[in-house]
Amino acid sequence: MSTSTALLGKGWRATANFRPILILVVAMFIFFTVTQSAFSTDQNLKNMLADSAILWIIAMGMTFVLISGGFDLSVGATAALVGIFMVKVLALGLPGGVVLVLMVLFGALVGALLNGIPIGRLNLSVFVVTLASMIALTGVVELWSGGESSYVTAPVAAMIGVDNVFGFPVPIWIMAAVFLAALYVQHLTFFGRDVYAIGGSPIAAKLAGIRVPRTLMMVYGLMGGCAALAGAIAVGRVGAATPTVDSTIALQAIAAVLLGGTALTGGSGGVGGTALGVLFIAILQNGLSLAGVSSDWQNVVTGVILLLAVLSDRFNFSDLLRRSSEEDGAAGAGGATDGDPATLGAGAGAGPSAHLNA
Amino acid sequence: MSAGNGHSPVLSLQGMHKRYGGVHALRSANLTISGPGVVHVLLGENGSGKSTLLGILSGQTRPDQGTITLGGQEVAFSSPVDALARGIAMVSQETAVAPDLSVAENVLLGRGLVRRGPILSWRRTERRARTVLDRLELDCDPRARVGDLSPDQRQMVEIARALSSEARILILDEPTSSLTDDEVEALFRVVRQLKHEGVAVIFVSHRLPEVFTIGDEVTVLRDGATVAAGPIAAFDDTSLVEAMVGEGSAYGRGGAVRPATRGEGTALTVRGMRVPGAVRGVDLEVGRGEIVGVSGLVGAGRSEMLEAIFGARPIAAGELTIDGAPFRPRSPRHSIERGLGFLPPDRKGQGLVLGLSIQTNLTMVETIGRSRAAIPRPEAEWQRVADTCERMQVRMASPALPVGSLSGGNQQKIALAKWLLRDPSLLLLDEPTRGVDVAAKAEIHAHLKTIAAGGVGMLISSSENEELIELCDRIVVMSRGRMVVSFSQDEATEAKLVSSAGGHV
Repeated sequence: MSTSTALLGKGWRATANFRPILILVVAMFIFFTVTQSAFSTDQNLKNMLADSAILWIIAMGMTFVLISGGFDLSVGATAALVGIFMVKVLALGLPGGVVLVLMVLFGALVGALLNGIPIGRLNLSVFVVTLASMIALTGVVELWSGGESSYVTAPVAAMIGVDNVFGFPVPIWIMAAVFLAALYVQHLTFFGRDVYAIGGSPIAAKLAGIRVPRTLMMVYGLMGGCAALAGAIAVGRVGAATPTVDSTIALQAIAAVLLGGTALTGGSGGVGGTALGVLFIAILQNGLSLAGVSSDWQNVVTGVILLLAVLSDRFNFSDLLRRSSEEDGAAGAGGATDGDPATLGAGAGAGPSAHLNA
Repeated sequence: MSAGNGHSPVLSLQGMHKRYGGVHALRSANLTISGPGVVHVLLGENGSGKSTLLGILSGQTRPDQGTITLGGQEVAFSSPVDALARGIAMVSQETAVAPDLSVAENVLLGRGLVRRGPILSWRRTERRARTVLDRLELDCDPRARVGDLSPDQRQMVEIARALSSEARILILDEPTSSLTDDEVEALFRVVRQLKHEGVAVIFVSHRLPEVFTIGDEVTVLRDGATVAAGPIAAFDDTSLVEAMVGEGSAYGRGGAVRPATRGEGTALTVRGMRVPGAVRGVDLEVGRGEIVGVSGLVGAGRSEMLEAIFGARPIAAGELTIDGAPFRPRSPRHSIERGLGFLPPDRKGQGLVLGLSIQTNLTMVETIGRSRAAIPRPEAEWQRVADTCERMQVRMASPALPVGSLSGGNQQKIALAKWLLRDPSLLLLDEPTRGVDVAAKAEIHAHLKTIAAGGVGMLISSSENEELIELCDRIVVMSRGRMVVSFSQDEATEAKLVSSAGGHV
């Protein structure tokens, strides 16, 4: 009894840095369930989730980019580029599984080379580098595709875009797999810790011996890989690779990450919050569409909520600052601990503090 | 113009008190400038309250108690702009010019740009800047980009800016710390010109020869109080240094407590090391278990030397060995793998990642060199982290808290302790107790002695000489990028360190 209460309390505390968005998502879910009879049907929820797969996967990669202190505007162009790549490689007659793997590697390479090297090794501005690669890649997409859409009839496309496995659309399975992998990287690898350290203070990370340039290359490579996977699903769901680049997907993904409590300043946050941020956008769009509200209003609401979410984060931050400056006589901590990779292992009961108290 | 004959004081501060939390920065500090055209030297060691006093003078800080009398009237400054409006301008230690703007724009920034209707007139602006520059007898194109000027010219631009507001009192906070001898001479010409015009100058410097060259009168601060004041002619080197450091430091000499385990090989040797723009030839040796201190003024090249040894700053020349084997600094990572550790002076920006947990910060260096795909096992770390925190007397609720939630002293202990988890053979420490309270400082000092007793060589740079005397077996003094003298612990006194750092060997 008392242990389960403790577990509950622990779980509640672990949500501290994305609590506003958690409450909002739950409230919105209940609201639409009550007001829209079509909302909480099995089919609608599955469609809603599968439709959000592209944003979800890109936002997962984007979370690491933001934690490292950057962002990536070029993911929409990368996704479109990988779609064209898919058509070209399928034309070679390679098996579907191999094509998928090649696509993800290709996307990772594009991200690591075009964004990772200029940002990590040459210390160029994140905004300039990712803007430049977005523009350049958009041109490459147009040139490579000849400006025309290509229908993709290979079974692998339908498989990852629309088929069902164990009663769920494959995109939902991919979302789950990407989420678990992202959680693993965030909490259970030294690489994850390095990303937080670099975002928190690149100088401190460097002086502690962390390979900052290499780590940043990998972060942008990871982002490119996520964009590639999202591009593959996009081809699968449409049934064609189109030369049109969705230039807003990067900004939507950044919005979802920010909604989830990861700060643009880097060093804090995590993929758990990002999942909620994506769900928020998905539920809002789906629910308002069912209610017959235009997508323009969806944008207005998303923008206002984004601002409020970031504001609420600011208030927590200043509280923390005030408290620590009282002890210290100087500026104190930034960011929340819940994003901290080392704290996850501290499960119920035998946390690290137990050793000290003993 | 001699000091204050026939004038009432232009400025007088009496009984200034200022507290920051538990720190008593000023207690009954006085300062009186006896007349116009007087160069008033303000002396004091680091932490003596100079900065606070200057802050009060320039309107940045409000005193808790005390009166400011300006030209016979009691005043209170509400802001730096207010102080400036009353004729007090300050040129701070870090030059605050806008590098991409022209000399004219910098000189007249924020007030003197000349308009013609709604449009700025560059011709008139430049002419106006020229008159200020001429007044200082500065030969410098008003159209030149300030970023292209040399450091001393940039400083002149700042002085010109201060004067463009018709300041009657000019504060120069360590203006010579980054200048060469020729540049110092040029600065003094300007100061004499200002004297001639009746501008009073408050001049802060650590270099005693300069003080006697340019000063008319002097105020010495120690521990927040004025301990000596009067015409400069009434003092000499010895009496000024004595006033600054006090008679017989309150600090005990703890060195004898340490078991003498050193002398088995060298941890570090440095021969002929040069670092561009900072270090001009340094020879140095640190034995295993030995603590070597580096004393010197701000800008002497102490920090740059430590950074260069650690591989965080490129070196131009020099031969180094670590534990007797040749060593070429390449990167912090490379140095860490060779057994070096580095405690940077700014723990908030460089030594720690404040938003991350105590545990993550502590184990950050330990895992360097392991595969990044590897799985950290937090449970396996807990015991080591707990032991380390206990050994270092870190006061905290849980290692899962962000390190930024700790007090300054406990943060510093974490920043130090993270290196111990790697068993380093040499620790480079830059200002190891900056910004920590007295109790934590004593604890950190004790830890450093214990660590050294375990055979770790240490090179400690500090601007607090009493700290170096307390900790070190040997103290070398740096001045303008060179080692000027070395003292054993028995020989070293604050007076000797202060006067050799200032150029009196």
